[in-house]
Amino acid sequence: MTTLLGSVSSRLRRPVGRKGLAPALLLVPATLILIAIIGWPLLQLVIVSFQQFGRAQVFGQAAPFVGFDNYTRVLGDPQFWQVLARSFLFCIVNVVVTMSLGTLVALLMTRLNKFFRTLVSVGLLLAWAMPALTAVIIWGWLFDTQFGVVNYLLSQVTGIDFTGHSWLIDPISFFAVAGVIITWQSVPFVAFTIYAGLTQVPDEVMEAAQLDGAGAVQRFRLIVFPYLKSIFLVVTILQVIWDLRVFTQIFALQGIGGIREQTSTLGVYIYQTSLGTGDYGAGGAIAVIMVIIMLAISIFYVRQTIKEEAL
Amino acid sequence: MSTVTKNADLAVLDSAVAAMIVPPSPRRASGRPPRRPVSGHRVKRRAASVVFSVIAVIIFLCSVFPVYWMINTSLQPNNEIRGPIPNFFPKDFTLGNYSTVLFEPSRSPFLPALANSLAVTLLTVVIALVFAFLASLAVTRFRFKGRKAFILSILIIQMIPAEAMIVSTYRVLDSWSLLNTIGGLTLVYVATVLPFTIWTLRGFVNGVPIELEEAAMIDGLSRTGAFWKITFPLLAPGLVATGVFGFIQAWNEFVLALVVMSRPASQTLPVWLRTFQQANTTTDWAAIMAGSTLMAIPVVVFFLIVQGRMTSGLMSGAVKG
Amino acid sequence: MRKLSLVALGAATMLALAGCASGGSAASGSSTPEAGSIRVWLNGTDTPQAARDYLKTTFEKQNPGSTLTVEEQSWTGLVDKLTTSLSGSDSPDVVEVGNTQAAAFTSAGAFEDLTSKLQELGGSDLLPGFVAAGTYDGKFYAAPYYSGARLVFYKKDLLAASGLSVPTTLDQYVSNGVTLAAANPGVSGIYFPGQDWYNALPYIWENGGEIATDDNGTWKAGFESAGAIAGLKQVQQVMEKASVAPKDGNETDPQVPFCAGTVAQVSAPSWVKGSILAAADAKAPGCPDQTANLGVYALPGKNGGAAQVFAGGSNIAIAAKSAHPDLAYSALKIMLGTDYQTILGKTGLVPALKSLSSTLGTDDVAKATAEAAANAKLTPASPKWADVEAAGILQDFFVKIGQGGDVTALATDVDSKINAILNG
Repeated sequence: MTTLLGSVSSRLRRPVGRKGLAPALLLVPATLILIAIIGWPLLQLVIVSFQQFGRAQVFGQAAPFVGFDNYTRVLGDPQFWQVLARSFLFCIVNVVVTMSLGTLVALLMTRLNKFFRTLVSVGLLLAWAMPALTAVIIWGWLFDTQFGVVNYLLSQVTGIDFTGHSWLIDPISFFAVAGVIITWQSVPFVAFTIYAGLTQVPDEVMEAAQLDGAGAVQRFRLIVFPYLKSIFLVVTILQVIWDLRVFTQIFALQGIGGIREQTSTLGVYIYQTSLGTGDYGAGGAIAVIMVIIMLAISIFYVRQTIKEEAL
Repeated sequence: MSTVTKNADLAVLDSAVAAMIVPPSPRRASGRPPRRPVSGHRVKRRAASVVFSVIAVIIFLCSVFPVYWMINTSLQPNNEIRGPIPNFFPKDFTLGNYSTVLFEPSRSPFLPALANSLAVTLLTVVIALVFAFLASLAVTRFRFKGRKAFILSILIIQMIPAEAMIVSTYRVLDSWSLLNTIGGLTLVYVATVLPFTIWTLRGFVNGVPIELEEAAMIDGLSRTGAFWKITFPLLAPGLVATGVFGFIQAWNEFVLALVVMSRPASQTLPVWLRTFQQANTTTDWAAIMAGSTLMAIPVVVFFLIVQGRMTSGLMSGAVKG
Repeated sequence: MRKLSLVALGAATMLALAGCASGGSAASGSSTPEAGSIRVWLNGTDTPQAARDYLKTTFEKQNPGSTLTVEEQSWTGLVDKLTTSLSGSDSPDVVEVGNTQAAAFTSAGAFEDLTSKLQELGGSDLLPGFVAAGTYDGKFYAAPYYSGARLVFYKKDLLAASGLSVPTTLDQYVSNGVTLAAANPGVSGIYFPGQDWYNALPYIWENGGEIATDDNGTWKAGFESAGAIAGLKQVQQVMEKASVAPKDGNETDPQVPFCAGTVAQVSAPSWVKGSILAAADAKAPGCPDQTANLGVYALPGKNGGAAQVFAGGSNIAIAAKSAHPDLAYSALKIMLGTDYQTILGKTGLVPALKSLSSTLGTDDVAKATAEAAANAKLTPASPKWADVEAAGILQDFFVKIGQGGDVTALATDVDSKINAILNG
């Protein structure tokens, strides 16, 4: 494996060590915007996480510093740990499913003729483009307890009466529905991006990998994957982050059915704590803890990518 | 294990080198199987392509069914939407929901919201792509101090839950008098999609072997020239993929738009869509579906435009045949 | 309950007196306010167009040179939007806020202090529960705007077929529901989705329970009390034996199952009648063929009379950051005036002024509405109450009750959660 890494990174190695102003100039616009719109509020978020900060403080009252109070409060709350564990489990399942499906769809797209490829792209795009609120309403209707199409079809097909079956009241079933909605809306991004990555791969390599016969998976892994490794890593990390942060779908689905206490994820929990109940201090603390945990998890991958490129 | 990888690895390099050395052949029709002398292969390939097409249709149907349900709902009167027996086709076909959404005078108007959304979204996509492209070049094609720190920051930024930052983001815009301005919201959206765009484009630039540029430079092109002629066209699919992402993000974003664009005249479409949800009257779900359908159209149009560009012009001159 | 509303009434009266005393100084600003333009935020389409037009013309006549713009806000995300906008430089001048959301803002200093104006705005004629909702720490910040009432809608033919008549006590209502459900399989005798906690409150209150009581500054949740437990058991009985509604469903769109024929009785906001009977060519048609068959009554109490039901509705306030507080007050006064409130009353909203309840009309819904509104009750007047709602604790609680959980254990659990928030 080391040889593989070594040679991939050799492709990326800078031959001319030109330094100077060029990279700085290239980075200026992005950095300025990020510092102003994200950096500054982020700093405030961190400060707030050490303060007793409620709605009154939003309206101008002085916010007393309370040290690590918010952190100890959050970390000492068993609900936080439940939410955290639940979010991770949900995230892992989602990422695995989304990445596998997305990659398979992308590979399939390289094998389709123009008509079918456009058909698949348009289908994926439509799913992706649907506003999250609308998506949850529609899926909510499909899985509706009283009048849902799913219950109707299941009753018709299996002959068992599914009328009145609630898909959301059981947490596992709730997350299955949520997972379907989220996967349905994230597979398009993964598929498009990996497909775009695949089009970068020289045709000869693709053809070599497409030769029929046993060991297709291995061929993919050994021949195509090295080209896609960078994009794969990028997309996987993004999916992990997004699925951990997921908010709209869970929040809206909880309004339709299910038990909030058993189904809240980190995003919903932070919203409830900060904007919902006005405890911005604790909300900030949860956000900071969440970033630290995510960093800890992804640090292995990050170090690997950065190390590779730095060779 | 190591020998296998090594061989495969060499094969990759071999074909990459071959791709560089062999002059670009005329681009073959995409997706069609390459001509091969052995006829057994052809039969097998044809069978495979039928199977793939069938799978493609299944994927299409799965992705599109909820979309179909949205459109189906938007074409029915509100009371037909939910009932003991679902309507798989509009039983009482009506365009009334669209006229409600578009023309009803007591509703906040659609067109100004559309104009706001288009302005903010297009500006966001263009600015974010340009800035992210420049930044991704810096971090992939140059080695400089602070590079790792930059990449790491980009990653961290994406981990921050947006829900926790709404109030402070609002404060920043307020202090610059950017509330209720297209510029203000654009700035926020650019900042939200930039990290993602840089992070992803970085992956795409990394995917283009630097040897390609070097080969072109040996042929006498300048570094910049080599980049524009060789690498940039190969990035087109990546730019399109991230551009579409940015478009959809900016187009559908709700909470920040709600808070930043607080005056009705500066409303964007997602905020406009929520005005159909009521507390003290029956929610007009059919109208919400009609509104959602209208909202999806520009995204599809945008995609078709950029996709056309992606497959036609940009790539034909590329190294890849 | 009696205690709470007495406290509220007491507070209102004291504030009214305070208003009298300091009325002189407050009036000085309202004589000739400087001209300007103000923005009024109203939520959803609840305020009828006629009222909006009346507000604008009257205001601009009373304040020559000034303009008033009504800006419609969506209920979705309202708290987020108010939190940011009211604290920023582009603040609206007059804002409507849901009555259970009001405390979050009155306690934060987001609204102008109206204590001295209370008498002028209606004083003791204002709905007392809503005055309490708009009061924080002895000061009056948010005036009542309108209220709604929950009524029981029923199908006359189904009641008649089972030989039942309109119930006169809560227990009879419950037993009717069970009988109806048993007689009509697949039909809810009382439609009761699990998340609908507003409709569960009357059972608690009528059996002598309280959500939470203020004990010298410490809140004490009351679901564990004997009365509340009796009420909860009744709720569970209804959900299990009388209702086929989704155990985790929410209360929106009750007209859909009603028109689909799976509901014999449902307790719902008064405007639902319009949704049920909407004509076939309406945007959201209901089932107008049920017009003759649709009956309505106010939920009966444990000992007869109208039950104490939850009153939804809105408060209205002046933003602390308003650039033209005097003009804003002028608009607020119009909105609490007789003419404006009469327009609201005629559209079926319970007016903020008790003396105008006759404007609701004389049809059966109006009569039932007036009856219910007279005995309506609010959630605990704690600034943290909105947080209990935001956390969805009560929705979860009643879903679990509906699932058949152990009432006492669940009540103990929910009480500790509510205590933690209210006293946190």
